Amino acid sequence: MYVLGIESTSHTFGVGLVEERDGSIRILVNLNEQYTPVKGGIHPREAALHHSRVAPILIKKALKETGLKTSDLDGIAVALGPGLGPCLRIGASIARFLASYYDKPLIPVNHAVAHIEIGKFISRFKDPVVLYVSGGNTLIAIQKKGRYRVFGETLDIPLGNLFDTFVREIGLAPPYLVNGKHQLDICAEWGGKYIPLPYTVKGSDLSFSGLLTAALSKASKASSREEIGDICLSLREIAFNMVTEVLERALILSNKEEILVVGGVAANRVLMDKIEHMAKQHNSKVSGTPLEYSGDNGAMIAYTGLLLLQNNISVEPERAFIKQRWRLDEVELPWLREF
Amino acid sequence: MVERILSIGAEAIVYLVEVNGLKIVVKQRVSKPYRHIVFDNEFRLYRTKIEAKILTDLYLNKIRVPAPLFVDLKNYIIAMEYIEGDKLINIINNLDKLHLEEYAEELGEQIGLIHSFEIYHGDFTLGNVILCSRDRRLYVIDFGLAGYSRDIEEYAIDLHLMRRNILAINPDLYNLFFNNLLRGYSKVFDKSDLVLKRLEEIKLRGRYVEERLKRKLIGEKYIE
Repeated sequence: MYVLGIESTSHTFGVGLVEERDGSIRILVNLNEQYTPVKGGIHPREAALHHSRVAPILIKKALKETGLKTSDLDGIAVALGPGLGPCLRIGASIARFLASYYDKPLIPVNHAVAHIEIGKFISRFKDPVVLYVSGGNTLIAIQKKGRYRVFGETLDIPLGNLFDTFVREIGLAPPYLVNGKHQLDICAEWGGKYIPLPYTVKGSDLSFSGLLTAALSKASKASSREEIGDICLSLREIAFNMVTEVLERALILSNKEEILVVGGVAANRVLMDKIEHMAKQHNSKVSGTPLEYSGDNGAMIAYTGLLLLQNNISVEPERAFIKQRWRLDEVELPWLREF
Repeated sequence: MVERILSIGAEAIVYLVEVNGLKIVVKQRVSKPYRHIVFDNEFRLYRTKIEAKILTDLYLNKIRVPAPLFVDLKNYIIAMEYIEGDKLINIINNLDKLHLEEYAEELGEQIGLIHSFEIYHGDFTLGNVILCSRDRRLYVIDFGLAGYSRDIEEYAIDLHLMRRNILAINPDLYNLFFNNLLRGYSKVFDKSDLVLKRLEEIKLRGRYVEERLKRKLIGEKYIE
């Protein structure tokens, strides 16, 4: 069984292909192209334009690398949300076309579910506490009664967004990443002193907006590179402490023994170190997600699509609407019923 | 004499200690290896202090919380009365309907009273409520994230945390439990209307909430 997956929820257009044979699943190909803004943040229309340009190239390349023809596929999976409307429409249009023209099942995939499922696939964890941290999301979820249940989440901005906004506002970005390293991690190296900044944890929920405002206000008064560095260092330290604390609380409250970290920020070494330190005290296992599968990618959509197809979940192309706001905890997943 | 460890929580180790035949609880906030030492000490100090202060305040106002006995700020320790019983999180699935309703309402009253003293809990979940086996009443514990505030927002967050907690622990009990909790809450707290209104707003603030998109569209297009 072969499933092609298309990801286009935000800055990344991705194509993945997975194969299932005798019960074992393999990722055959994972091709991703990122749109990078020249200035400011992601411009949805510009990103969509980028996606429409690279889409046919990547899909053809994926098929060529695997030696498959479109007619060999058993299903077309696409991330229908959550995400940016113009970007989502590119992936959805292509997937609808492929599914109806080649008469293949069209599989609707929730982007957040896909991040978690690919993380579980790689870590081989069965029932973890999940921390999903990226530019668009910061949440903690557990599996319960057929769904991922949100245990805690940000009440305002996501963690990745906090970092991106801060480095942009102080004039360091774009580019947000330099050789795979975030600008915040780079400027944190300039400093060495920890300064107090707001720390807002509400039970298992978080709030980063006060931290951002305070850090920006301090940065506007900073007069040297070292001072900016101190702010970056402290901002990162406090934000990661907050995340680690709520994760620890969720781990204890839910009585789980595994921690899975997914999403773009899962590749951050400083965060993973903190989480590993915390987990050690509770004899819990931790798994991050390798860079290739932690950021937005096509393989995670293909893989989750395969799981859904095995459970006979598909959608008629004319009813495959994009959902810009499609919450993780809305999605019924048959394989989570046992939890 | 330390009898046993009652719990290893997210930030503290809780010991059961016997002194001259009296059982007491000793809670020590431990150092977290993932936190930088500067923040670590500041945190443990602040949270020990605020918990002791709030416990004292609530206890003197006859709210059912463990009676604080002594504080040692140097070692980040609070000693308090031992409430023998089960945490609500561990027994909620085994309660019959009648008891569930009764306890939910009682808990609503408890948190309502706490709010009426301008105190919020900050981590109001089923794991922080004990059903005392002695008097079969509910005791709210763990005030490390609590604080003093007149801001409706803080009170609404408490209810929001409990709502999300019950949804994560056992979604089937949500309606029965939470409706009764709100009933008890409204009974004792005169600002409950404002808090419940804010609670709805908080729900809409979560990521990707469908109603928010709809409301926004209606707001921009159809209403002045």
